[in-house]
Amino acid sequence: MAEGKLLIHIEDVTKIYNPGKPDEIRALSGASLNIGGGEVIVLKGPSGSGKTTMLSLIGCMSRPTSGKIVVEGRDVAKLPEHFLTNIRRKTFGFIFQQFNLIRNVSVIENVLLPLYPLKTGLSEMRERGEKVLGDLGIREKWHLKVNRLSGGEQQRVAIARALINEPDVIIADEPTAHLDRQLSLDLLKILEDLNREGKTVVIATHDPIVYDHPFVKRIVEMRDGRIQGVTVK
Amino acid sequence: MIRHLKILEYALSSLVRRKFKNLSIIVVYTLTISVLASILFLTHSLKLEASNILLEAPDVIVQKISAGRHDLIPAEYITKIRDIPGVGTAKPRYWGYYYDALTHSNYTLLGSDSNLTGLSLLKGSMPSDSGQCAIGKGVSDVRLTGIGREMILVDSKNTGVVFTIVGVFSSESSLLTNDLVILEKEDLIKFFGLKAGSATDIAVKVHNENEVQTVAGKIKQLLPDTRPITKSEIIRTYDTVFNWRSGMMLTIFSSALIAFCILAWDKATGISAEEKQEIGILKAIGWDTGDILVLKFWEGIVVSLTSFLLGIIAAFIHVFFLGATILAPVIKGWSVLFPDFRFVPYIDLYQIFVMGFLTIAPYIASTVIPSWKASVTDPENVMRG
Repeated sequence: MAEGKLLIHIEDVTKIYNPGKPDEIRALSGASLNIGGGEVIVLKGPSGSGKTTMLSLIGCMSRPTSGKIVVEGRDVAKLPEHFLTNIRRKTFGFIFQQFNLIRNVSVIENVLLPLYPLKTGLSEMRERGEKVLGDLGIREKWHLKVNRLSGGEQQRVAIARALINEPDVIIADEPTAHLDRQLSLDLLKILEDLNREGKTVVIATHDPIVYDHPFVKRIVEMRDGRIQGVTVK
Repeated sequence: MIRHLKILEYALSSLVRRKFKNLSIIVVYTLTISVLASILFLTHSLKLEASNILLEAPDVIVQKISAGRHDLIPAEYITKIRDIPGVGTAKPRYWGYYYDALTHSNYTLLGSDSNLTGLSLLKGSMPSDSGQCAIGKGVSDVRLTGIGREMILVDSKNTGVVFTIVGVFSSESSLLTNDLVILEKEDLIKFFGLKAGSATDIAVKVHNENEVQTVAGKIKQLLPDTRPITKSEIIRTYDTVFNWRSGMMLTIFSSALIAFCILAWDKATGISAEEKQEIGILKAIGWDTGDILVLKFWEGIVVSLTSFLLGIIAAFIHVFFLGATILAPVIKGWSVLFPDFRFVPYIDLYQIFVMGFLTIAPYIASTVIPSWKASVTDPENVMRG
């Protein structure tokens, strides 16, 4: 992905959950944002500010109630589910707050999960899995069940899984929420390296270790579902 | 293809992860299939055995009726029947039932020239002299006896008569020969104390099978105190009896089937929070709804096909190797006093297919539909933990 080229364009996006019902929630209101290729951007704000909603919209995990989201030139808000899945598969790698690994399944199986529905051959899958685990320093743990790993190791497995499809954009939701300071710094180092390789990184966090890190170039302040301001470092 | 293989691999790993839930479904599913298949195998085997016997049976059996009951038939009736146009042969048959108090079994005793067709000896020979007998495999087993040994039967005068066993039967149809004791004709007449010049019944062969009913009607007209029974009537009776019995059994076991369906539905549709979470994760990392459905389809087919095959194998062993020890008394009914016999394995592929379709398809549907419901929702929920 060429650095600086517009990758994601968000225009006046609103997201309302359970519209018209008593439990209606307006999670995002009139948000607009552009994300360029190779950028590191942090969505910063307290709980309930709309960070996770914004990430899920950017990552094509849900559709906006109104507004426009353009990813690599296509308005994803109107695409059928199958196309959204394809974009999610090829463009995004997700790192979740809770890791979201499949329990009682081995490290390698968890990492290779995104490749199962694809036509990638078994030997190529294994090669890619071993490489990405090697890059993250957990290759020797490939056969262990993920629930037998430490929190930091589980986080690395989640990152490996996010990278297995060689996505252009890494989306991380509160990635340091369950990590101590040292592990958080290790994670940021990994993300920094990925960014150096040209990957766009979008992180939602309220952890100062993340948004104060020098590799973060832009901070988007969010509150009550609105973008309050953007700081360029 | 490779996509399906990989998803199947993951489906197997998923099933192993939830082994207790899936094992309990497999056990109940297998039991249900084995009971249903046992009933069908047993009924089918009995019906086919009956048909085999009747293939060689006379076209018409003529019995004399006295006061509405079967009586000995006078030998002069044979000549009258032979004279009816269309009749090929008319031969007397000498036979009767014998209750063996020693083994609590019923045997069929038959005079050796009573139209013995379709019988083959396992070993030995047919009785050729007075005081000899050939016996069915069931009789041999229940009396723990064999060729060269003696068998004592109590005659109509309550006197023990000694017969030497000279042959043991085998037959394509064990139902035909299993309870059989063949004696010399004169020995049998003497044993039962039959009146001279009479037979148990008359076996009639008709030249043209399309004229069997006409010949039967003529016999009835000519000899009003007889009851001509055609082969087709006997086949119909067998069919009715076995269909009725199996129908009754199936009715009883349909409640078991319904209970299974409820359990299967409950087990399969009760997607746990963990499973929902897993579906969400898979969607979030790039699986689409179709991939999830393929995964659940494979899970369903592995469980249902395994259970179905295990159930069929269990039923096969139960019916054809263990003699249907659990179901036979109900299906066979009258045969509680019958020497046990092995059913000859007959399998109707159409029945297997129908049973498979009626159990596998609903199970897969009950697995796939709830997963489809879970998989069409946005994967966003997984982001929120």
